[in-house]
Amino acid sequence: MTTRTRETTRLKPHWSSIFENGRGARLYPYLLVMPAILIAIGVVVYPVVSGITSAFYDVTLRTLNSGDMPFVGMRNFERVFADPNFMRASLNTVIWVLLNVVAQLGLGLALALLLHRIVPGIGFFRSGILVPWVVPSVVAVLTWRWMYDPSVGIVNEMLVRLGVINDYHPWLGDTATALYAVTVESIWKGTPFVMLLLLAALQLVPKSILEAASMDGASGWRMLWHVILPQIRVSFAIAAVLTFILTVNNFNAIWLMTEGGPLNSSEILFTLAYKYGFQRFDLGRASAVATMLFVGLVIATTIYLKLIQAKEAD
Amino acid sequence: MSTSSPARGRATASLKRRRTPKPVRLALLYIGLWAAFIWCVFPFYWMIATSLRAKDEIFARPPSIVPHAITLQNYVDLLVGAQFWRFALNSLFLTLSVTIVSVLLSVTAGYAMARHRFKGSVMLPLFMLYGQMFPPVLLLIPFYIQLKFLGWLDSLYGLIPVYLSYMLPLCVWLMRGFFAQVPHSLEDAARLDGCTRWQAFWRVILPMARPGIVAVATWVMIHTWNEFLYASTFILSERNRTLPLGLSGLIGQYTTDWGMLMAGGVVTAAPILLIFFFLQKHLVAGVGGGAVKG
Repeated sequence: MTTRTRETTRLKPHWSSIFENGRGARLYPYLLVMPAILIAIGVVVYPVVSGITSAFYDVTLRTLNSGDMPFVGMRNFERVFADPNFMRASLNTVIWVLLNVVAQLGLGLALALLLHRIVPGIGFFRSGILVPWVVPSVVAVLTWRWMYDPSVGIVNEMLVRLGVINDYHPWLGDTATALYAVTVESIWKGTPFVMLLLLAALQLVPKSILEAASMDGASGWRMLWHVILPQIRVSFAIAAVLTFILTVNNFNAIWLMTEGGPLNSSEILFTLAYKYGFQRFDLGRASAVATMLFVGLVIATTIYLKLIQAKEAD
Repeated sequence: MSTSSPARGRATASLKRRRTPKPVRLALLYIGLWAAFIWCVFPFYWMIATSLRAKDEIFARPPSIVPHAITLQNYVDLLVGAQFWRFALNSLFLTLSVTIVSVLLSVTAGYAMARHRFKGSVMLPLFMLYGQMFPPVLLLIPFYIQLKFLGWLDSLYGLIPVYLSYMLPLCVWLMRGFFAQVPHSLEDAARLDGCTRWQAFWRVILPMARPGIVAVATWVMIHTWNEFLYASTFILSERNRTLPLGLSGLIGQYTTDWGMLMAGGVVTAAPILLIFFFLQKHLVAGVGGGAVKG
């Protein structure tokens, strides 16, 4: 059978045989990647370079229309640093990222440990717990906005019934709570993804290690800390960096619940850059903030890459 | 596996007595599972419950957890309006175009990066990963300037290249992961049978990688269907809105029709949830095997 097919295909030269040897063979892989690379240069590389460049030019609607954008050096950055909102947004970004990363990793690990064991009905629980991850982000954010409603929101009603608060509270309308209220939604939405990453890692931990540890009498916390965590440490770090990147880039949650308000109390760098750019149309200053975010994310991505390589070497 | 010794076996027997008895541990496990389940599912339940209530019940205080009377009025209001269908068609058009283009572009690139050695075969995949992590806010501004220059602002066609900017790198990266999992021996066998390199790819490897390709395509569809930031910045007129934009547009300055908004949320989320629970296995493998493991 094999010999027959070989002969028949040999008899019919195929147009693609030009890639078998010589110049065709050398060009072949380049031709395969070419379309994607050309498009990526057009829609990723060029915009990134041009975005960073415009941080050093005076780009506003007026200069855009006249086509004459003067070079201003570091002026955009100086103007950003002089803005008190920028300091506020930087601080908020730190709080926002820290709370999200810590809570999502902690809860994600707890969920992964809960869902790790095969017990009756586990498929039902696993599917249910993935719901926040699957629901479209805009839908999720708007649902939470409705749940936080200051006059008839279910969150208020439940907290009153549990005795946590005495009266309904405008969670998203109060400068003291707006950022934290949005953070709760973001933790709810992001945790299942972390859980998935950690669950996949947990399932790769050899059973023999867990059994040996439990035979040694290691129980509960000690087992978690000394046996399980070291086994999944690389996946844990990957999840941390990914959560960091996703949280810095999480625009929908803040924008659709508070638009960074009230009084910039839930402003993060992303929404600040967006406001500079598309409410004040000061695109140069927006690019300056975006460039700073870009540098932070490139560093985070580099760490992420190193971790992936470490995992492959494991 | 073979580390346990008889001495250790005896030691466990004495230690086991100290640990919490098994039924109690199982009960605690289920309490934990139910708590997590309710926390995760409740907002989703609340969306559905709100969408099925009459207007006066939605704004009744205190709100009741279970609706008193179920009505489909909100869905009727939503689906009778021509706007909803317009938004849904816009979303569908964008989703399909972006998915087809990005899968076609990434399938050969992902394969070449997984299988062939060439100048840049190490750097390019890394670049794709970086491309996927770039902050969208940095890309927004040049895109805005470009689209304005080309006159493509407020057009669905203009959004296609914009969406490619973050879907294409993800696609190539995931595809590379899936192709790397197809065994080399298959390709070698096809080549021994006289296939050219292209034929081996097209007739043997591509069909083998189909589950991976379906997973990647589904990811692109889900992301595009849900996308909000770019659409809300570049789409200005009402008739070009996508579903997420249409939903956020239902938020009023002073009053919001939450019943209709939640009904819209259910209808927007439904296709994603359906696709997801049909393809759950493939999609989750994409997260674990393609995106993370590389």
